[in-house]
Amino acid sequence: MLKLHNLSKVYRTDEVETVALNNVNIEIEAGEFVAIMGPSGCGKSTLLNVIGMLDSPSSGEYIFRDESVGQYSESRLGDIRKRSIGFIFQSFNLIDELSVEENIELALLYHDIPVKERNARVAAVMDKVGIAHRAKHMPSQLSGGQQQRVAVARAVVGKQSLILADEPTGNLDSAHGQEVMSMLQQLNEEGTTIVMVTHSPSHSDYARRIINLLDGHVLTENLRAVG
Amino acid sequence: MFKNYVLTAWRHMASNPLFSFINIFGLAVGLTSCILILLFVRGELSHDKQLVDADRIVRLHSAYISSDNPPFRTVRAAGRMMEALRDYASEQVAAGVRLLQIGPTVIVGDKVFNETFVFADQSFFEVFDLPFAHGSSESSFNNPLDLLVSEEIAVKYFGRTDVVGELLTVCCMDGQQLEVKITGVLENLPATSHLDIDFLVVMQPSMFDFAPNLLNTWTSVNTYTYFKLKQGFSAADFKERVWYWTDHESPFTQMDMVEGNPTEQIQPNVMAVTDLYLNARRDAGNMGDFKALGDLRMVYAFSGVALLILIVASINFMNLSTARASQRAREVALRKVLGASRRQVALQFLGEAVTITFFALLLALVVVEMTLPLYNEAIDRELVFSLASELPLLALLVCVAIGVGLLSGSYPAVYLSRFLPARILKSNQSGDESGSQRIRAALVVFQFAISIGLGICTAVIYSQTLYARSMDVGYDVSNKLVLHGLSSSEVSNKKQVIVDQLIRIPGVESVVLSSEVPSQDNENNTGFRLLDIQDDGAANDDIILNYYNAGYGFFESYKINIVAGRGFDKAYGSDEVIPVAEGSETAGRANIVINESAARQLGFSSSQQAVGKVLRADVFRAGLQHLTIIGVAEDVYFRSLKFGIRASVFFNHPATLREATITYNTTDLPGLLDQIETTWKAIFPLTPISHEFVADMVNAQYQEEEQQAELFAAFSLLAVIIACLGLYGLASFTAEQRTREIGIRKVLGARVEDIVRLLVWQFSRPVLVANLIAWPTAWYLVSGWLESFEYRIGSSEILMQCVIAGTLSLLIAWITVASRAIKVARANPIEALRYE
Repeated sequence: MLKLHNLSKVYRTDEVETVALNNVNIEIEAGEFVAIMGPSGCGKSTLLNVIGMLDSPSSGEYIFRDESVGQYSESRLGDIRKRSIGFIFQSFNLIDELSVEENIELALLYHDIPVKERNARVAAVMDKVGIAHRAKHMPSQLSGGQQQRVAVARAVVGKQSLILADEPTGNLDSAHGQEVMSMLQQLNEEGTTIVMVTHSPSHSDYARRIINLLDGHVLTENLRAVG
Repeated sequence: MFKNYVLTAWRHMASNPLFSFINIFGLAVGLTSCILILLFVRGELSHDKQLVDADRIVRLHSAYISSDNPPFRTVRAAGRMMEALRDYASEQVAAGVRLLQIGPTVIVGDKVFNETFVFADQSFFEVFDLPFAHGSSESSFNNPLDLLVSEEIAVKYFGRTDVVGELLTVCCMDGQQLEVKITGVLENLPATSHLDIDFLVVMQPSMFDFAPNLLNTWTSVNTYTYFKLKQGFSAADFKERVWYWTDHESPFTQMDMVEGNPTEQIQPNVMAVTDLYLNARRDAGNMGDFKALGDLRMVYAFSGVALLILIVASINFMNLSTARASQRAREVALRKVLGASRRQVALQFLGEAVTITFFALLLALVVVEMTLPLYNEAIDRELVFSLASELPLLALLVCVAIGVGLLSGSYPAVYLSRFLPARILKSNQSGDESGSQRIRAALVVFQFAISIGLGICTAVIYSQTLYARSMDVGYDVSNKLVLHGLSSSEVSNKKQVIVDQLIRIPGVESVVLSSEVPSQDNENNTGFRLLDIQDDGAANDDIILNYYNAGYGFFESYKINIVAGRGFDKAYGSDEVIPVAEGSETAGRANIVINESAARQLGFSSSQQAVGKVLRADVFRAGLQHLTIIGVAEDVYFRSLKFGIRASVFFNHPATLREATITYNTTDLPGLLDQIETTWKAIFPLTPISHEFVADMVNAQYQEEEQQAELFAAFSLLAVIIACLGLYGLASFTAEQRTREIGIRKVLGARVEDIVRLLVWQFSRPVLVANLIAWPTAWYLVSGWLESFEYRIGSSEILMQCVIAGTLSLLIAWITVASRAIKVARANPIEALRYE
């Protein structure tokens, strides 16, 4: 699915140079469920952003589906992104002024999909994540778990094959956290590739592979059997 | 505590340079316009206030009303009115004086200067107690031809002001050069005086016996007539007496051209001198006043504009303050947690607003100081601005600043002080509510409605001016040079000599004489009676018509078509008016040309029908004449489009021809002018030449309107700029506030264009609504203004200006918002989404 080769990311400000990623080599196959772990500031989120094409690497190569996308223009990256990649954030990032339904539909609005099909897909995905009865509600009327389910629905409604989740359970209590994790697991079983950043060992257990980062290096890669 | 307020206020300003700039700059521009307009208004209102007993001095104006003519109005009065009214209303009148303007030349060595002398009754200083630089009213103004000059004139001719006893050579009285002794020097009159006196001469009425129309007349209006009223009487009291006199005691009751009550046709007006500058415009209608007059409507219009600009600037302040409230919500919450009352918080924000306004005021004062000379030039005034010597003005400005500060600070203060601390601190929310967003939107609507409305008004004023200029006046203005002042005594006897000389200059096509040239704002009225018996056998009534004098070739030169009969033509013998001897019983005979309007007014169904008919009239300086209509000229806008076309009669009376029109066909104007001047000087060494191009004279008629339009445009532009600044600020703020949303949309695949469209649309709605409000309001206002024009642009033109202004407002709003939105839309979304 994707391959990072000797990839580095350096942030420069006027005075300081921060190396967020240093010579990272990672390969992720289609259908994998990968967890990225590590202490705060080790480069997890940067890695996720680079994979999600929200940020570009300083050096090295990024191959996405056999295409080297490192030098692509922003609009071309945006095009790949909206077709292939879904995002889930720790803070849900729903738009407060839009209802549940409209938040999910937002992901299709930029896809030139006819209204009819849009409505059908939104309805289907709401059923799938069990939020259909809240379709007309505003985000502020939902619990955290429900909001994240809406976010998951939004991430997959465009039939994205890769989901990038940045601490999806970070703002949730354990019960709601479990709920979201099993949903991700289900998606993975249906064939979606999932890359998730997490702090929680219990949630990383859902993944089949764990990448440990420290100070921008890949420290270890553990392949584990899922029980 | 106060220090803490100042500190937080200052840090907020420093950490938000864009908002602080928009606030202070917007308010400063608003205050600058306001001060400039205030100075203008103050100047306009201060005219003639400096005169001693200004509140008791009045002037007599005249108006002749007839049912079939536009009224004829003038700020002058007939020569015999002063004495008659002074004696009749002696219980009200303390003194009266007549002023007569005469234009002789002053000769110094081989130089000659055209000057204007004011001849005044000896009672002048009983009415106007003007200050002397040298001499006094008792010692300097006693004998006929005693001459007072202004300090300016003293310096011009002698280089010093102490010139009592000096002699001036004046040309000419009755064809004679005179040596006149200066008996006193008057202080220069301020620019705000309606009087314009450089030379003041004691008038002995017998000096003007040669011209009975000047002083010894009831009907010819040539003198400025002033009265000083006794303590306790007003202009209105006196006017009542004047009207009573006119109807019951005046000689008008005996005149046969007057029917019914004289005041149905002759309507004197009495106006206090302090009102003249702003209110005499209507009365001055035809011939103007000593000096250019102001316009009360402009004073109102500009005061309104000043207020609107301030409101627009204040709205910026309110909008940006409340929009930024989120940033200050925590501060407010904490202050409240620590014990501040709502009142204290509100006071803090009011104080901040007033402080910022004072910053703006300081900036505005500097800008006013710098731009005043430019402004004075633009509005043709001599306004002065020196704060140190004008404490009341300073106090007023401080009050305005406090007022604007309180106004702008009131809404933010109420709004911010209302925040509930618990909610804000717990929820980590901004506290910005949809209610306040609605109010902001409403304020933006209001702001843009003002800007668009001003824009439409400006556009309509402009297009009306252009329209008036582009209208065909009906006569030919090209390649024409007018020589003025052929009536001066040196010239008047040799008019034909100069004409014969001028025509020989290469490039000169024709030289024609007339009493007025087109575009000269003058009228002459007298009664004409058609010598024809009506069907029922009754004689016709006198009707009042305007008349001009035109020499041979006049109509041809100005390309005014003769639609029936013929123009004046030497080939038919003499068309000239020949004066009849005084006391003669038999009427003289002469030929006249009338215009189409006059033909209609005389009751002819066609121009052709008028030819050959005879009118009877008492012709100025020619006695009773029987006048045969030999031709009808097409109607042209002889005076100005502003006054329409007046029914007119053209005589060819050589004695009254005082303007020469030279039509040329050369492009070498300097050479031509040089030759004309040389020719003139050789024949008239004592009279300076005075010439003007007809095209310039026509243009000058629109100068005032154009100046007003430009000024109006400048101030509207300022309002638009301030409103746009506000919109820019609000757009940046909104963009900032919606950063997260924009980030999400981008992550989901929105392109930069999508984001820009989103924001632009958000700000298009208020502008569209503003158009809905601005159009009808502006329409109503400009329709009222256009009423005052005889010929005006139609409603389709106004609608077009509305559409243009509306489209422009949208475009400007789009550009303003888009410039900000593009930047935000281009930002990397992860910055927005990373942190909570």
